[in-house]
Amino acid sequence: MPDIGIISSTIVAGVLLGGILALTALGLSIVLGVMRLVNLAHGDFLVVGAYAGLFFLQFTGIDPLIGLPVVAVFVGMLALPVYSFLLAPLAGRGAEAQMMTMFAVSIILENAFVLAFSADTRSIARDYATVPLTLGPITFPLIYLIGFAISVTLILAVHWLVSATAFGRDLRASAVDAQAAATLGVDVKRVQMLTFALGAACAGVGGTLMGAAFQFGPSSGGAYLLNSLAVVVLGGLGNVIGTLIGGIALGALQSIGGLTLGDGYRDLVGMALFLLVLAFRPDGFLAKGRT
Amino acid sequence: MSDAIVSSPRVGSASTGGLVEVAVLVGALGVLWFVPDFAGDYWLQLGFRTCVYLVLAQGWNLMAGSAGLVSLGTSSFIGLGAYAALGLLNRVGAPLPLALLICATAGGVLAALVSPALFRLRGLYFTVGTLALAELLRLLMVNVSAFGGATGIILQEDPPALPVLFRYVLVLAFLASLTITLCTRTRVSVILRAVRDDEDAAAQMGIRPYRVKLGAFVLASALAAMAGGIQAAKLGAIEPYGMFGLQWSIDVLSMVIIGGVGLRLGPLVGALFVVALGEALADYPEAHTAIAGVILIVLIRFAPQGIVGLAVKLPLIGRVQA
Amino acid sequence: MDRPPLLEVKGLVKRYGGLVANDRIDMQLRAGTITGVIGPNGAGKSTLIGLIGGAVVPSEGSIRLDGRDVSRLPASERARAGVGRTYQIPRPFLDMSVEENLEVAQYSIAPFIRATVAREERRALLARTGLADVATLTGRALPLLRRKRLEIARALALKPRVVLLDEVGAGLVDSEITELIELIHSILDARTAILIVEHVIRVVRECCSRTMVLNFGKTLIEGPTADILGNDQVAAVYLGTGGARESQTADGTAPAADSAIHVSAPEAEAQVLAPLTAPASAEAATAPALQFSGISAGYGQARVLQGIDLTVERGQAIAILGANGAGKTTLARTISGVITPTAGALLIDGQDVSGWQPHQIAALGIAHCMEGRRIFPTLSVQENLLIAARGADALTARERLEAVYDLFPILAERKTQGGTSMSGGQQQMLAIGRALMARPRLVIFDEISLGLAPIVMDKLYDALALLKKARMTLIVIEQDVDRALALADHAYVLEHGMFALSGPPRQIAADPRLRHIYIGGAEDASMGELTSIG
Repeated sequence: MPDIGIISSTIVAGVLLGGILALTALGLSIVLGVMRLVNLAHGDFLVVGAYAGLFFLQFTGIDPLIGLPVVAVFVGMLALPVYSFLLAPLAGRGAEAQMMTMFAVSIILENAFVLAFSADTRSIARDYATVPLTLGPITFPLIYLIGFAISVTLILAVHWLVSATAFGRDLRASAVDAQAAATLGVDVKRVQMLTFALGAACAGVGGTLMGAAFQFGPSSGGAYLLNSLAVVVLGGLGNVIGTLIGGIALGALQSIGGLTLGDGYRDLVGMALFLLVLAFRPDGFLAKGRT
Repeated sequence: MSDAIVSSPRVGSASTGGLVEVAVLVGALGVLWFVPDFAGDYWLQLGFRTCVYLVLAQGWNLMAGSAGLVSLGTSSFIGLGAYAALGLLNRVGAPLPLALLICATAGGVLAALVSPALFRLRGLYFTVGTLALAELLRLLMVNVSAFGGATGIILQEDPPALPVLFRYVLVLAFLASLTITLCTRTRVSVILRAVRDDEDAAAQMGIRPYRVKLGAFVLASALAAMAGGIQAAKLGAIEPYGMFGLQWSIDVLSMVIIGGVGLRLGPLVGALFVVALGEALADYPEAHTAIAGVILIVLIRFAPQGIVGLAVKLPLIGRVQA
Repeated sequence: MDRPPLLEVKGLVKRYGGLVANDRIDMQLRAGTITGVIGPNGAGKSTLIGLIGGAVVPSEGSIRLDGRDVSRLPASERARAGVGRTYQIPRPFLDMSVEENLEVAQYSIAPFIRATVAREERRALLARTGLADVATLTGRALPLLRRKRLEIARALALKPRVVLLDEVGAGLVDSEITELIELIHSILDARTAILIVEHVIRVVRECCSRTMVLNFGKTLIEGPTADILGNDQVAAVYLGTGGARESQTADGTAPAADSAIHVSAPEAEAQVLAPLTAPASAEAATAPALQFSGISAGYGQARVLQGIDLTVERGQAIAILGANGAGKTTLARTISGVITPTAGALLIDGQDVSGWQPHQIAALGIAHCMEGRRIFPTLSVQENLLIAARGADALTARERLEAVYDLFPILAERKTQGGTSMSGGQQQMLAIGRALMARPRLVIFDEISLGLAPIVMDKLYDALALLKKARMTLIVIEQDVDRALALADHAYVLEHGMFALSGPPRQIAADPRLRHIYIGGAEDASMGELTSIG
């Protein structure tokens, strides 16, 4: 039986990490909600974010956490042509054509990373990534707390955007009945494009945070995608606050799983939860609480 | 008129078409059986890979083209088959054909076991669920030391010689193609296509869509497990990252989309194309998958019926195909 | 009559949220008989077919087939137990040939049937349903009539004991209906029962021994078909006179033009609407507000509108009438750009807008209050309203919101609630209010009275009368003839995608052909004469 300090540290670290996981899943969630698209390149968008943070630091010397807005805009802008040239022309051709296209984009991106940045694993090396923070018996890396704070802030901002602004109104209306929204004057294509870009921008920030907390490489996208899918399935589709709760739940359960079964089982817990939720609560734990 | 031909493969009598197809398959088996007698190792390697791909693509095409199930979890069943085959060969000393049959059973059973989770909601969930399943199994193999952990397991005896393996995989590809012929040239085909076209209307006709989809999934999974088993026997050493790797799923999906989803010749054309592309770009492995990605995007957008679909639209070939 | 009924429905209830689509339906189908179900749009007829066929799960009640309770069985098991149904909008397997469509049913119930036997059965079925010449064509290649025949053939391939026919007559011309009636009679044998849900009254009259009338999800009346069709109460339900405030003439056609709207202080009310009504622009004063020239439109293969010409002047209120399936909603969708015309030109204020996107047409000041309300469930009542105030600044949006709340005070009370948590009538008020939030110049109201109680309809039409007073251009699409005619300056009656009648409301209301178009009754006036007018 590990001592209470280790247990509580692990759980706190899991919850904090879960906040970051929620942010990494947010883009996937809103794109799924509005466009009915499982963006299979979402994990690679996160990797783009991680590389963007890394090179921002290398070229400017400015801390990537300060440069987060730049990274967000950069990744968001990259997503615009993907939407206009690859996804928009497939509108009306069923969900699978768009999903397969994003799968192909994922393959291409992954190979592009290898060609451009080599297959090495890297990390965004900052002091706060390794410095431990101690509060009583609880110890965890400082980056977890910073990442959690940034993630929760951003998720709440997106929640505000979706639930309280005119754009959010258009977004929610387009998600449930695109035809009715269009008849009322909503330019649904534009809403979808902005949603896709917003999702990518969130992925950019989430990717930088992941890159600061952990090592990453050209093929990290697959694992990122699967964790994000687990969060979305746990939290419910297209539900911003649900994504936050789903992320925290996944982070905590992964940590507990890692502690009890061994560190190698962390990700396995996530995948097992994912399939179990699909089997028994396909609408997520928060089926009712839609934003 | 060409559209009608594409969408309805049965022009003329079903049984005649089926018999012709079976005859072609038997003929192909008969001719290719003697390839090891005069072909070198290079061509046998290529032939082996093409046959493995063909087995996978036949199963995937049955699921996607006939039952509307788009899977990204082919590697789950390849990996399962690979581990089961080497386990049986090492521990029990089972002969390879028997081991492959047990692999097929294991693949089918796994498919049936996970189907409640994967079929719960329609469409996209099946795809993401299969993706998660492959990752789950890979992580399990990495972590459980009984399965060799991250280093995997090694075949204790020497793997069979390449000509022998080639003939095994040839028979396997023949059997897979024959099975699919039975599914697409008989009354099973109308049931499958009805479920793909309109599940609700099919149910109203007395079809039980869940069972039909489950059947296609189980069959495709059994085929993939056998492909994984024979691949493992050839490699002689397997590890989880390779056998449960996403690359398998990418390859099989690319083959079928490039060849033509739901078309009888799609898997064969796709398998040949992907193997040929791999050879042409053998010196540029990174570019290889990226180019496959570009081809996928272009085909999805401009030729959703793949190469075979394009070819059939040309009037001359279309008539021959019919 | 001493044998137990083949199919027995008891206390069948289907609720969708707060909406009761079927309310305690009792029904008995005996072998060897044909039963009809009629009733206005939205009365719950298709839901009843869905419940019996197994596509819809009942909330309460039982369905017994040959004494066995099948109410909890899924559709596939019902089909195997002997229930065959057709879909109102045909759903053939599009990529399969006609013959293969039948094979689906044959092989699902008898996987090992001998091929020769199956082929003979198919040939016989195809010959009987008039599909022999298209046996090798795909479902996609068939026109609407053939698709409907395929629906019937496919249901019959199940060798059903109970056949459910959902609106098989809609959209067919008279000679086709004659053939259909013959077909239905040929299906019937001593061990089969047929249930027909139908708008084409001729089919019901000539096929059904007994008929049930549904209204608001409930059984209004049930009895021998001749009695039911001669019943004035039934005619009133169809023509919408059942709930109108004005006293009706005995024949069910209302003295339409003078059914005045009771508003306490009309002038004051009209003032309230000012923020919602766009001022007449000077520049386009010469061009009509809306013009159709030779417009054809439809969905895929099905051409619904067949070369329509229509001119709507500024400030005019027109009514578009017609039976189910005549093309009314297609016409509305063509105006708002949801459907792109396949031929002809659509002009708004003299500008050709054919092929424009819906949001571009909305930006021209065209609002479309869509059929089925289409309220966004994830938006609150207030958000549902605000979303339509495109480009309005906060102050203007607030003004319009207040104006809508003045018009429908209940919406103000419910403004923070979810849009679909309200009753049907309140949701319809929300849909109307939402259309007005755009401050439109022209509004299309599509079936706003559908499934609503008469008193609620009155409220909605009071609001429309105010809009008309404010000189807004109105296009009212209605099943409820009286209310629409009372409001309109000019009326058009659609039949088979063409205008069969048009003229001032009083003239239309008095025209005996109107009743024929709605509830058939082609006893003497020949249908040929009718269609020649279009």
